[in-house]
Amino acid sequence: MNPSDATREVLWNISNSWIMYALLLPTLLIAGNGILLRIKRWKKGRPVDRLDRPLERLQNVWRHAVLQRRTMRNRYAGIFHAFIFWGFITLTLATTVVFLHHDFGWQIMQGRFYLYFQSLFVDLLGLLALIGVGMAAWRRAFLQPRFLVQSSEATWILVLAFIILGTGFLLEGWRIAATDDPWGNWSPVGSLIATFSIHWMSVETMQFFHWGVWWFHLLLVFGFIAWAPYTKMLHPLTATLNIYAANLKPIGASLKTIDFESEESFGINRLDHFTWKDLMDLDACTECGRCTAVCPAATAGKSLSPRDIILDLREKSRISNKRETTFSDPIIGTAPSLSTESLWQCTSCAACVESCPVSIEQFPKIIDMRRFQVMEEAVFPEPMQQALASIESRGHPFSGSRFSRLDWTEGLNIPEIKDRPDAEVLVWTGCGGSLVERNQKSSRALTKILDRAGISYAILGREEKCTGDPARRMGNEFLFQELAKQNIQTFEKYKVKTVVTSCAHCFNTFRNEYPEQGGQFEVFHHSEYLKRLLDQGKLPMKSSSDRKITLHDPCYLSRHNHMTEDARSLLQQTSSQPLIELERNRQNSFCCGGGGGLSFTEEPSEQRVNRQRADEILKTDVDTVAVACPFCTTMLEDGINACKGSRDIKVKELSELILESLETEE
Amino acid sequence: MKLLVCIKQILDPEIPVRDFSIDREKLEADSANANQVTNIFCENALETALQLRDSVGESSITVICFGRESAEDSLRKALAMKADEACLVMNDLNHTPDSATTAHVLASAIESLGSFDLIFTGRESGDWGNGQTGAYLAEELKVPYLPFVDDIKQTDKGFEVRRQTESGWERYGIPASSVVTITNSDHNLPRIPKTRDIMMSHRKTITRVSFEDLKIRKDELNPQSDSVRPVKLFVPEKESACEFIEGENLNAKIDQLADKIMEIRSTL
Repeated sequence: MNPSDATREVLWNISNSWIMYALLLPTLLIAGNGILLRIKRWKKGRPVDRLDRPLERLQNVWRHAVLQRRTMRNRYAGIFHAFIFWGFITLTLATTVVFLHHDFGWQIMQGRFYLYFQSLFVDLLGLLALIGVGMAAWRRAFLQPRFLVQSSEATWILVLAFIILGTGFLLEGWRIAATDDPWGNWSPVGSLIATFSIHWMSVETMQFFHWGVWWFHLLLVFGFIAWAPYTKMLHPLTATLNIYAANLKPIGASLKTIDFESEESFGINRLDHFTWKDLMDLDACTECGRCTAVCPAATAGKSLSPRDIILDLREKSRISNKRETTFSDPIIGTAPSLSTESLWQCTSCAACVESCPVSIEQFPKIIDMRRFQVMEEAVFPEPMQQALASIESRGHPFSGSRFSRLDWTEGLNIPEIKDRPDAEVLVWTGCGGSLVERNQKSSRALTKILDRAGISYAILGREEKCTGDPARRMGNEFLFQELAKQNIQTFEKYKVKTVVTSCAHCFNTFRNEYPEQGGQFEVFHHSEYLKRLLDQGKLPMKSSSDRKITLHDPCYLSRHNHMTEDARSLLQQTSSQPLIELERNRQNSFCCGGGGGLSFTEEPSEQRVNRQRADEILKTDVDTVAVACPFCTTMLEDGINACKGSRDIKVKELSELILESLETEE
Repeated sequence: MKLLVCIKQILDPEIPVRDFSIDREKLEADSANANQVTNIFCENALETALQLRDSVGESSITVICFGRESAEDSLRKALAMKADEACLVMNDLNHTPDSATTAHVLASAIESLGSFDLIFTGRESGDWGNGQTGAYLAEELKVPYLPFVDDIKQTDKGFEVRRQTESGWERYGIPASSVVTITNSDHNLPRIPKTRDIMMSHRKTITRVSFEDLKIRKDELNPQSDSVRPVKLFVPEKESACEFIEGENLNAKIDQLADKIMEIRSTL
């Protein structure tokens, strides 16, 4: 037996194979129609440039579609999904090989290629796919993750996949047994079935069953192909396209800019006001539920569910399609997930976006709808009205604060930029850093550190105004743009080149949102800037404490900007003990509950996001929680104080900890 | 129906302590670092007028303010809330006039604007809190007056209004052209303007009226001509001191503390 002769007969035991070709045509027509219907829907969306930078986009497809990186973040689901994904890809390739070999006369299905790939590899990958389907079914039936969508469609998909794979192996086994295939051992699963079958069935019986099951298998496969585009099984196509069209900017730069001069309606309350990518998002959803599983509002027991927002919008897009009428129907308030109550629960932490394996952008859609509520309807929660009204009239959202923007500088010699126009850096204290008593201490600490490092800096003092971050997240894009213009004017007046801020929200807005408004300056989060100073040897730190520290990553650094390591490097210098990581850290960090305007509202005590995080922190044996954002500081301090009991555990801002280790040097 | 709402711009009541200072010569708050806002009761008055317009339809609302240049912001906000017209009576006096003078100026301006079916003011302003301008205004215009109103309905003869009192509500019928001062209630919280209306408010013209236009002689309006003048204005000084109570045991400390309290009480 010469391996180079190895091959097998295609369409063994099958006559009238023309029927297969005849059936293929309607199958492809039905499937193609399903795909076209979706494309037609996406085309109703507004334009957005998501096809630029093709190389980066292809890289994303390679990482997240082909290598399944983001899907793998959930171990169990990631493994079975990869099994099924790679299994079916391989089986499709194998079928293509047969097609080329048989119908095009390319003699490729032979020799070593036949043995190694077409027999052994395909057989093993088919087995993995079968195992994957089993794991998926087990998860659906018994593990039942809380946020997984249970639907009969999903069950049928698994049943079909199982039968298709199972009958494929039976066909292979009976062919090997009936033809006494000399290369049969190269297909381990097939030959196992062959060995069993030989004991139970005569060659004629096998031939008979092979014939019947072959046509059954064919009908199932064709049926599946025709049906898939009408189900979530279109996701191999839509998810790939969606990953290709993903937002390439940081998540922190994903909100749309409204042109108030040309726009007819502000914010979104109808499907055709979304972009085509937004609409493609809906069809890319695989119903995995990861977005809702990581959503702080959802896990706190509130009604917000990013997954349901996507699915309910999808449902609407499909109904509209059937009616062939309108994509212009109102959407807000038409489903529980789209209720205004839910929309106002979002902390804009973007955990949903970060967790989505197929690059769906959930939270920007929530902000789109909030914008409609605020700017068109002027109906939104009262505490948020107060915060926005305060920004409008006082330039800060902390209605009721008795502090001025200079109170925190009392007793320190901190120059204002009008008195020190040549300052190297502008320290942007932010409303949170200057008007909330707790944070004034960290604001002072930062300036003391800069003094030690010999940096020439100044503050804006009374001329500082809210960056517009809370206004934008609460849906008042108009106010945001006004504030951005005013602040940029102030920066231009003083020729500001470099800004350092300890507020993760201000930082994100400056870095990702001001350039579009004309802001031309460099901005650093203080963790980034202080790390530079450390590297330059300007921060003589000595880790003299033995604090057990953990870091709570602010969403607006870790997820919105993927900045996680500078704060860690700095913290490692402040204690002799190693830094302890929380279960949810870095880009998987869990929100403090303060973003999206939520720090200005009162949450029901049993549904507070900060308490969830506090509970997670209290599970570790740390004595210090390091934070790097004034909103996180106050939210977590409240949460920890409510949950800690008699335990001695402190919330400390990064600057405070660094200052301590500088001071001990003296 | 023509409605008129008088509004006032005042120093932000939420002004940070650090930013608040007093001009000892003029006997008024210094406005250097202070933020100016619309007096909340005036916003309640505007909201009540807007609701009356919503209920009867076919009405126009004119907003008038006697104030400095900065009061344009308050008028623009009123336009954004969907008032129809805005008029700024420019105050270029060196001092802040008292309620009677303010009412006199407003009355002249209102007469120049034509007649109105109902005139609204806030019940008082958040700066001095005198609550007199509305009454003086009615006096100047020689029309009926009703204070502390929180709800208004149109009737055949004029209006039926609800008035808040310490023990509940009173209902009155008042004729057209009356002056009412509006107090706050659950249902007259000022509405949030829609963004498009805010944008439109910046395109509207605000009528500016000067003392000259009203034929008021500016030199007649001086602090001496005011009927009411403050005698002294100052920020009360607060002192705090901390002292630890010593003592061998709890009882001794409690005795000490009690003595201390009695001692302080006798000095008050």
